[in-house]
Amino acid sequence: MTPALEVRDLVKRYAGGFEALKGVSLEIGAGEFFGLLGPNGAGKSTMIHCITGLARPTSGIVRVFGNDAVHNYRQAREAVALAPQEINLDIFLTLEETLDLHGGYYGMSRADRRARTAELLEAFSLTEKRKQRTRTLSGGMKRRLTLARALMHRPRLLILDEPTAGVDIELRLELWQYIEKINNEGTSIMLTTHYLEEAERLCDRIAFINHGEIAAHGTIPELTERYGVDTLEDAYLELVGRQELSRSHISEEAAL
Amino acid sequence: MSSGRVGASRMSSSQIRMYSLVRREVNRFMKIKRQTIGGPLLETFLYISVFGAALGTRIHSIDGYRYIVFVIPGLIMMAWALNSFANNSSSVLQQKFTRAIDDQLASPASPAQLLWGFTLGGFLRGFLVSALTFGVAAALLSLPVAHPLVLIPSLAVVGLFFSIAGVLVGVRAEQFDDVALYQTFVLQPLIFLGGVFYGASLLPQPWQTLTQFNPVYYMISLVRYGFIGYRTANLLLAFIFLALATAALFAYAYFIFRRGRYLRS
Repeated sequence: MTPALEVRDLVKRYAGGFEALKGVSLEIGAGEFFGLLGPNGAGKSTMIHCITGLARPTSGIVRVFGNDAVHNYRQAREAVALAPQEINLDIFLTLEETLDLHGGYYGMSRADRRARTAELLEAFSLTEKRKQRTRTLSGGMKRRLTLARALMHRPRLLILDEPTAGVDIELRLELWQYIEKINNEGTSIMLTTHYLEEAERLCDRIAFINHGEIAAHGTIPELTERYGVDTLEDAYLELVGRQELSRSHISEEAAL
Repeated sequence: MSSGRVGASRMSSSQIRMYSLVRREVNRFMKIKRQTIGGPLLETFLYISVFGAALGTRIHSIDGYRYIVFVIPGLIMMAWALNSFANNSSSVLQQKFTRAIDDQLASPASPAQLLWGFTLGGFLRGFLVSALTFGVAAALLSLPVAHPLVLIPSLAVVGLFFSIAGVLVGVRAEQFDDVALYQTFVLQPLIFLGGVFYGASLLPQPWQTLTQFNPVYYMISLVRYGFIGYRTANLLLAFIFLALATAALFAYAYFIFRRGRYLRS
């Protein structure tokens, strides 16, 4: 079965010489829920940008459902969508226009765009606001609209870059439910997050990335075993070399 | 949430994509039409009032043409040029700032489609302001159209030239000051000194000769000839040069979009 994402020896070197990705290789199976964890500046966003066409890889291969992201970019981009960490909605557009134009960029017919827009606005409880401009929305609504926009063209691989950063508890739980539903319906998902309980709840497999390299990947039991710890949090702290922050370490010290 | 596709379209996916990119740009300037259409129209009519109604009573004619009729072709061209440029440079830079441009950049749109989408937005705004100005001028002042076959292609190429230039400046700019710099210190002086308000023959030396190095002078000459039949420069040469310059600018912009420079990291 063709993997949802195949990354081979991906290098990204910026103009100043900084190497954000140092030969990363990764594979996400079709229908899989995959987590990419790492500290800020580890290379997560750069990798996402290389997959979605927002950055140009220096070397290496990126394939989305078998389509090369550089040489066969049209098919690759039709198959993938990104809900970015930073809200980047067009302030001149209404909610309806935001979804409709996004569908247009992907070549969807007018009838299909209309039906899909209504469906997504309803699913994300945004129907009442459909004629409002995006800048009038609350932070939580903007987050929901960003996710709806990403889903508009029915991507087979959805990339969620810290989708629940800064949202309240209800919305976080709501978003988790949406995301699980989408995954159950067959969409492959790649998630980056700093909330480890989010990764634990949602992801089938996880990769740790640090200093532009994949340090480890596998299921949560495989990762904890590899680092010789009991929890994903401790495995992560081992990755970043901050074992002294481990809860077990702190409770041991408190007992002394 | 996973319903299948609905309905077929008479347009191909690629045409829908192109149409959507242009629609976004038109949507933007129409949402703020007081600023993007109303403001420039008022400005143009103020020029017409001052230079036509006020000064025009003192300057009766230039080479046999009523002064107001002599000035209006240049004003129509200036409106198209400035609006095309201002629209595209602001629109692209705004979208870069908010990163809303990522929605288009991550789409399957080709570099050429993205470039045409941004370009045509400003082109259409320039066209709208110029067409409205022409409509009023034609009705109130009996502005003729002496050579439509020269006028239409000339105005279209001028509009394209400044539309592409606006996109390029927006793509390269990092702050709004960069856009203002080109508009205030390059574009406006070239247009004002290109002969919108006077004929080059009225200038003393060395200004008369220097004007001939200003590309806008040839654009105005073409447009003025198209409207009122007033001939100054070698018009065929001027048109060929203008068309080549526009093609070269487009080729450079296409190179930038294809490489993704300033847009993709």
